[in-house]
This record gives sequence, structure tokens and C-alpha cells, in this order.
Amino acid sequence: MKEVELDCLGEACPIPLVKAENKLKEMEIGDVLIVQIDHSCAMKNVPEWARKEGHNVEVEEIDDGEWEIIIEKVK
Amino acid sequence: MDIKKNKYYKLWLKDAWPYITGAVLLSMFQIVTLAVTGNPWGVSGVLATWGAWMYETVGGSVDKWYYFASEGAQRTLEGGFINHGGSIRNIGIIIGALIATLLSSGFKIKKLKSWKQVVAAILGGLLMGYGARIGFGCNIGALFSGIASLSLSGWVYALFLFLGAIIGSKLLVKYFM
Repeated sequence: MKEVELDCLGEACPIPLVKAENKLKEMEIGDVLIVQIDHSCAMKNVPEWARKEGHNVEVEEIDDGEWEIIIEKVK
Repeated sequence: MDIKKNKYYKLWLKDAWPYITGAVLLSMFQIVTLAVTGNPWGVSGVLATWGAWMYETVGGSVDKWYYFASEGAQRTLEGGFINHGGSIRNIGIIIGALIATLLSSGFKIKKLKSWKQVVAAILGGLLMGYGARIGFGCNIGALFSGIASLSLSGWVYALFLFLGAIIGSKLLVKYFM
């Protein structure tokens, strides 16, 4: 089981979403992807996409306007 | 009690509202705007007026410009900022967005990641601004208010907006991934 961090700070929509999609594709089942974002609309569309795909998702607020979306690849 | 743990703080101020709530509120407020001012809601036309005022401040004159030739446009320019409903509304949008961000403690000054972002932002802004004026409306005035007034032009706008978005996404993936 691997943990991968994806730095999307300073990136606007939809770049964090596309980057997260591409990254998760290369990962194995059980791996965890941590997407770092500071664009509030990515806070909505990245978890929405990951949940729809059936992965386990958690959002953590790191600082004012800064979040980590933790996605565990389940399939 | 810690306000951050309050259920209503989370529901109303902290978390993003559902798209449907936003859609309903936007429709209601644009109806109010149309009813009260007699003009449909627009955003980018105001920016052209701001540009004209800035140009006049540095000694320029737009009197001979076709865009500002109408009597209404001249009256708006002469009336000044405080008498221009659209200007006040745009300021309201900016201040309202700031207040919402502060209330959810989501304010952050973002770092520039690359010069590509700067170039893309300036280029994108210029193209959008130019397109919105040459097309007499942006995605608010021409699309949103257009469709709301049952105008065919709004739907034509929507169609080409989608085509543009598809091309834009391809360019985005090509240059920013």
C-alpha cells in the first residue's frame, strides 16, 4: 500500500480534477492519493467524482482556504 | 459553544451550497433585477463602462466611439459611478464573495505556480472581454438573461459556449497537464 501526494496548490478548476483522475489511474487498489488543493470548486468536484467512482473519500481542512482530499482506491 | 461545530454555521456558511440552491436564488434575484431596474441582469457591460471611466480619468474621450454613442450610454457615463446600478451591483458581487469567503474562513492569497498561468489568465481575460462586448453580452447578459427572456440568441450562445468549452478543455489538457 502506497501513499501518493499530489500538489495542486495554486491550480484552478478543472486541473486538480484531471490531475487526480490521471494519477489514480496509475495507482494500485488499496493505495491512497492525497490531493492538496486551494481552489474551493475543486473541493466540490474532486470528492464528487471520487465518490461516484466508488472510492473512499475524506476531506480535511489544512488551513484557511486549503484542503487535502484523501482518496483510497478501492477498485 | 464553538461556532465551528454549530450545525447551522456548517450548513449555511461553511459548506458550499448545492447547485440547485444557487440556481433558484440566481433566478429569483435576476427576476427582481429585471422588475426593479427594467433591464436584465448583466455583468460585463458594466466593465466596459468602468474602462471608459478609467480612460476618461487619464484624459481620453469615448464620445466618438460607436459603442458609447447611444444616448443611454452617454447618460450612464455622465451620471457617474454612484448613480449606475450595474456598477453598484458588480461591487456588491465582489464584496459579497469576499464576505462569504471570510465567513467560511476560506480566504487565501494564492501563489502563482507558473508564468504560463499569468499568460493564460491575461490572454483568456482579453478574449472573454473582447468576445463579450463584440457579442453584446457575456454568459450572464447574453446567456443567462437571454434564455430567461425566451430569446433564441441565448440558446445559440449556449451551443457555442459548449463548443468553446470543448476546445478550451483540449487546450487546457495540452498546455497545463
